[in-house]
Amino acid sequence: MKELNRREFIKNTTVATASVATVASGISLTTFAADPKESDPVTNEKRWGMLIDANKLSEVDIDDMVNACQEEQGWGGEVHSTGDQKSGWIKKVKVRDTATQRVSNLALMCQHCEEPPCVDVCPTNASMKREDGIVLVDKHRCIGCRYCMMACPYDARSFVHEDLTDQKEHMPRGKGTVESCTMCVHKVDKGEQPACAQAVSSDAVIFGDLLDPTSNIHQTLKNVQSTQIRADLNLNTGVRYSGI
Amino acid sequence: MSRLLIVLLSVMLSITAAHADHHIPNLGEKANEFKDDGKKAHKREGMSHAASLIMQRKMHPELLSHKRDKTLRQGVRGGYTQLQKCVDCHTSVDKNGEHIPVNAPDQFCSTCHEKVGVSLDCFSCHRTTPAEDM
Amino acid sequence: MSIIRYEQTQGKSLGFYALIAGLGAFVLAALGSVYFMEHNGHYVTGMSNRIVWGLPHVFALFLIVAASGALNIASIASVFNKKIYKPLSRLSGLVALALLAGGLMVLVLDLGRPDRLIIAMTEYNFESIFAWNIILYNGFFLIVGIYLWMMFERRMNKYSRKVGIAAFTWRLILTTGTGSIFGFLVARQAYDAVIMAPMFVVMSFAFGLAFFVLVLMASYKWTERALGDAIVNRLSNLLGVFVASVLYFVAVYHLGNLYLAENSGVENFILMDGGIYTQLFWYGQIILGGLLPLALLYSPATKGNRSMLGLASVLIILGGIAQLYVIIIGGQAYPMELFPGKEILVGYGSIAAYTPTLPELMLGLGGMAVALIAITYLIKFLPFLPESLADDVADPHHKS
Repeated sequence: MKELNRREFIKNTTVATASVATVASGISLTTFAADPKESDPVTNEKRWGMLIDANKLSEVDIDDMVNACQEEQGWGGEVHSTGDQKSGWIKKVKVRDTATQRVSNLALMCQHCEEPPCVDVCPTNASMKREDGIVLVDKHRCIGCRYCMMACPYDARSFVHEDLTDQKEHMPRGKGTVESCTMCVHKVDKGEQPACAQAVSSDAVIFGDLLDPTSNIHQTLKNVQSTQIRADLNLNTGVRYSGI
Repeated sequence: MSRLLIVLLSVMLSITAAHADHHIPNLGEKANEFKDDGKKAHKREGMSHAASLIMQRKMHPELLSHKRDKTLRQGVRGGYTQLQKCVDCHTSVDKNGEHIPVNAPDQFCSTCHEKVGVSLDCFSCHRTTPAEDM
Repeated sequence: MSIIRYEQTQGKSLGFYALIAGLGAFVLAALGSVYFMEHNGHYVTGMSNRIVWGLPHVFALFLIVAASGALNIASIASVFNKKIYKPLSRLSGLVALALLAGGLMVLVLDLGRPDRLIIAMTEYNFESIFAWNIILYNGFFLIVGIYLWMMFERRMNKYSRKVGIAAFTWRLILTTGTGSIFGFLVARQAYDAVIMAPMFVVMSFAFGLAFFVLVLMASYKWTERALGDAIVNRLSNLLGVFVASVLYFVAVYHLGNLYLAENSGVENFILMDGGIYTQLFWYGQIILGGLLPLALLYSPATKGNRSMLGLASVLIILGGIAQLYVIIIGGQAYPMELFPGKEILVGYGSIAAYTPTLPELMLGLGGMAVALIAITYLIKFLPFLPESLADDVADPHHKS
């Protein structure tokens, strides 16, 4: 008789506790506002590109572009790296035509090719191209082999040669991985312009959707002569240049 | 028989001692404020708060990896899971008012990671303190 | 030719332990260098964003290329049925595996994130020749391992020919793949040439055999076993043929590049005004690594002399390292042609500077030491070496 009562007791208590727990968890305070919704994945309906007009770009403009990039993405503060070891996501390049002696100034960064050699050669798929054309390094996968740097026709990539601190929160970067211009993808995804494009007040640098017939860049490319650097490699770069 | 009893007692004692090491993780400044306000962080629908926290501890690497691939490769932004958000809440502040790196010894991440012996790789690249406000 | 008896080396002498200790010191130095580079970051090396692959890669690729060539002897025995090389097959397989292990060790330890090596095996990009090389290297270990087993295990001997053919094919693909790491890079003038693939294959013949000859002669001398002239002379002739072939391919490669106006820049750089690279090319690769060994191997005054053969092998190895230095580092130092017909004044276009540092050198040498330690130890552990390679034992045409 005693055992039966004990069994009953245990059974009833368990059921009671379970039901209270179930109900209680349902009515406990929802602590956060509804989780912020995730955006949709990007598609290849857009292809981001940039047009840099060397005729309109002054050297000061280019310096501003480089500084803006450094400010925005947090590179350039490496203390131990020397000379060519320092990161250089965007460079000022001065070019002189040997036949005419004409000098052009331009800014050179990752060209965001449609057929990127860096993506082809990366053994771990760390070097990747997004659907909308932006070429990135997935630093979680990068093993630091630097083969993409060998393959890049534009010397666009940098290897991090030392420990880093105080990274920008939107731009993680670390020792032993490869990095390059991201076309400010964190800004572009919010509908903003890359920092370098924003730094130039004139329309020397136009950023936009190459595939959108109404965009400034699309229409300018239709009307104005432009070229790709190393066009013979048939990489169909996203960054185009006028005036070189 | 008595020997067996001694062995049993010492085992029970050591187990209790091990569990008694209740090093409450250094939750971080904002997280502590949140907790003190009585709110329940990481609460999942259909689960108790305690169960949600256990799930968070167990699953945070997978949750973060899954989201990071979506963000990096597909451009999916927003959502609840973001490493930056973890750092925002779970960093502590030292007496000068400066944020202490979240992966420093005795800070939020290390208290668990040192105990379970799992190395922490995120912060060789990711920012260890909340973003500066402009 | 009598029955060949294989016997483990004694491995108890002072000399043996001194060798292991000496090589071990190099390995420890290499590990220390790796810790130093890994802990601080690559700023402590001479490598930069312009010269991304430096001295460690020179050594690593040299060892990897030599590894596939070292298997040649076994292949000639099994695949082409040259009986005189048969007793050497086991050692050939061993040297091949040891050199590959050493080379891969150096390559892997120089990665920016070597802790992520597993990712290289789990997240594959099959479009990358680099990724294909990883498969080829691992497969090489497997195939040569099986090949050695076929040779060691008497019951399996009848399969050794088939596995030998598979190993031979695999190593050709492997070395072609290694050459293609450079040959497929359209971006750089020095590399955009498919001939690099077969050139690397022929280089592997020369470097691998040079290593093999040195290991063979040293191991027989230091264990006081008989090594007859029949074998040594044949190896010597073969080495000469391989060195000549390498010179041929180098000539074709450079002549081809010179013919193409677009590549004349890098050719002038390597052949004439590239400073250290020009010196390494002519004095190191061509003279020291090519013409002088040929003279030593074929000149009547020195032909048949074992010390001269040893010297020639050492020179071939040094020349090979010089060759890879010129290819890998010289090829990177010369700037890419970003704007044909234009001169870059600022921002890019200089000949990139590179000064190798001590940690890089120690890492490279450590890889060689690992290969040599593996060989030294394993010939004691298993019967790789025939008890005697005297002429009356080894030479199938010997008239007693």
